[in-house]
Amino acid sequence: MTRRPSSLPPASATQCGGDEGSRSSCATLIIGLGNPLRGDDGVGVRVAQILGNRTLPDDVEVLDGGTQGLGIVNLMEGRQRVILVDAAEMGRSPGEFVRFELSEVHLLGDGVETASTPRGVGTALTPRDAHLSVHAAGLRDALALAQALQMLPPEIIIFGVQPLNLEWESALSPFVEAVLPDLVAAILAEVDKSV
Amino acid sequence: MSNVNVNVHHLTRVEGHGNIVVDVKNGELVQCELQIVEAPRFFEAMLRGRPYYEASHITSRICGICATGHATASLRATENALGVEISEQTELLRKLLFHGEIIDSHVLHVYMLVAPDFFGVGSVIPLAGTHPEVVKRALRIKKLSGDLCAMISGRHTHPIAMTVGGFTHLPTVKELLDMRKRLVDAREDMDETIALLATLPWPNFERETEYVSLKKEDEYAFIDGAIATTDGFTYELPDYRKVTNETCVPHSTAKHTHHNRESYMVGALARFNNNYDQLHPRAKEAAEALGMKPIVTNSFLNSGAQAVEMVHCVEDSIEIIDELVDRGIKQEPLYEFQGKGGEGVGSCDVPRGILFHNYIIDDEGIIQGANCVIPTGQNYANIEADMRALVPQILDRPQKEITHMMEMLVRAYDPCISCSAHFMTVEFV
Repeated sequence: MTRRPSSLPPASATQCGGDEGSRSSCATLIIGLGNPLRGDDGVGVRVAQILGNRTLPDDVEVLDGGTQGLGIVNLMEGRQRVILVDAAEMGRSPGEFVRFELSEVHLLGDGVETASTPRGVGTALTPRDAHLSVHAAGLRDALALAQALQMLPPEIIIFGVQPLNLEWESALSPFVEAVLPDLVAAILAEVDKSV
Repeated sequence: MSNVNVNVHHLTRVEGHGNIVVDVKNGELVQCELQIVEAPRFFEAMLRGRPYYEASHITSRICGICATGHATASLRATENALGVEISEQTELLRKLLFHGEIIDSHVLHVYMLVAPDFFGVGSVIPLAGTHPEVVKRALRIKKLSGDLCAMISGRHTHPIAMTVGGFTHLPTVKELLDMRKRLVDAREDMDETIALLATLPWPNFERETEYVSLKKEDEYAFIDGAIATTDGFTYELPDYRKVTNETCVPHSTAKHTHHNRESYMVGALARFNNNYDQLHPRAKEAAEALGMKPIVTNSFLNSGAQAVEMVHCVEDSIEIIDELVDRGIKQEPLYEFQGKGGEGVGSCDVPRGILFHNYIIDDEGIIQGANCVIPTGQNYANIEADMRALVPQILDRPQKEITHMMEMLVRAYDPCISCSAHFMTVEFV
């Protein structure tokens, strides 16, 4: 059955202080990224929706980051720990997920990429098209910008999920759908580790 | 005579995939194209068979930046199809939310995507190293606009609280007043933004075209109104196809549009040219500081018009908040489907230009037909016309500079070629 985005509750839980405007008081922020209209790219958003329905520790906030790009820098500001969930091309089997930290992947080089610069030079945590865009390359650019401004939170953990299908389609592939319980459990286990 | 061959594969700092191809042989322009290589999107097909109340949530996912714009155009199409009247409070809240999105999108384009060209750096990342105060200002403005959107739409990204006929979540008076204070404080950042743009060496390039936008007599139009063009045409929204006249071209997966001329332009500059009189006085002052007065025919100054609109939206947001606080925020009944369908067109002038959604809804409340015409698609033909006009003027320059100018020109339109997936590629150390 096709998922219905509108029938799901908003993925945000804000127990850490009542300031709806800033929402920056929870020590841990989980951001699910992706576009639920692009098949498995929606896995991050789906995870955010699932976690939004769970009871989480008081100092944990969950956000559906959608295809938000550089805005992630502002969302991460002031956090102790940020957990990002996103579809990632890792050369693994569809549905396989990997937990990694920024130190475990090549990060960014100096970020100088223009049309005349060979793509991917000095970079490995790159979008498939390696250009500086906003949602096409949102996460990488947001992390690079935060790094350049010394605004990276102390701890960043990324859960990358290997996609099968990224075409216009509003459902996850069976491979990614099947891994959701394990993925959510792994994220919850991560949350339980002290910051 | 000179030969020039520009071939930019996957232009950077725009949304999605586009190639610039320019071929000059013996001083004669033989090829000049903006090739769109994105797969065509099928969101119109995705809407068919869905209940009316899902449309705004689905279409808000078309774009990560114009989520509110798509959602609002979608809601207006649905409301017009179903004959739903909205309250003044809903109208004010939607305008306020929309201003948040305009600021959010424009600050991103002006600072993160365009400014690096003038600072001689490849992207905003090195700019953060050389001019951190500029990038931090951009992030500050972005945070303000993001928080404004979250206050009204219920969260930072895709609006969840906006629904057919109204809102499922309302801001409190305290939240509105806190936001008002931040908007007043943001005037300083707006002034700095205009001052910065006034110092930038905008390329000299003039080419008159037809500018198309929404228009209202009593306000700078972003939501609803009539379709107006600088060639003197006016249409009601249901006649939008008389303006868009979509045609297929071989080198682009996106359709081209034309109206009174071979092409027309939509976006901030088109709005500025059509609706200058309705700008807030502070925004007019900003325009003056940038040397802009309609009709501005330099497409590069679309970014200037965006900055002017940011000033306008900050000021108008303050006034809207005052009005909302004066009225008091009231819980209002939500719309209930009356068992009667229809056809409706909704239009918003989103950050990149005029957007149309057109739905046919049956008596069960199910969408049977949908059409969306996005702003960037309407600009492609005009971008190419600009390219054809610009190339002969700069043929004597080094090829690298020509290439850079063409990139800057396309970027000036803030094109949103795809509203795409954004997954990353990871290689482990």
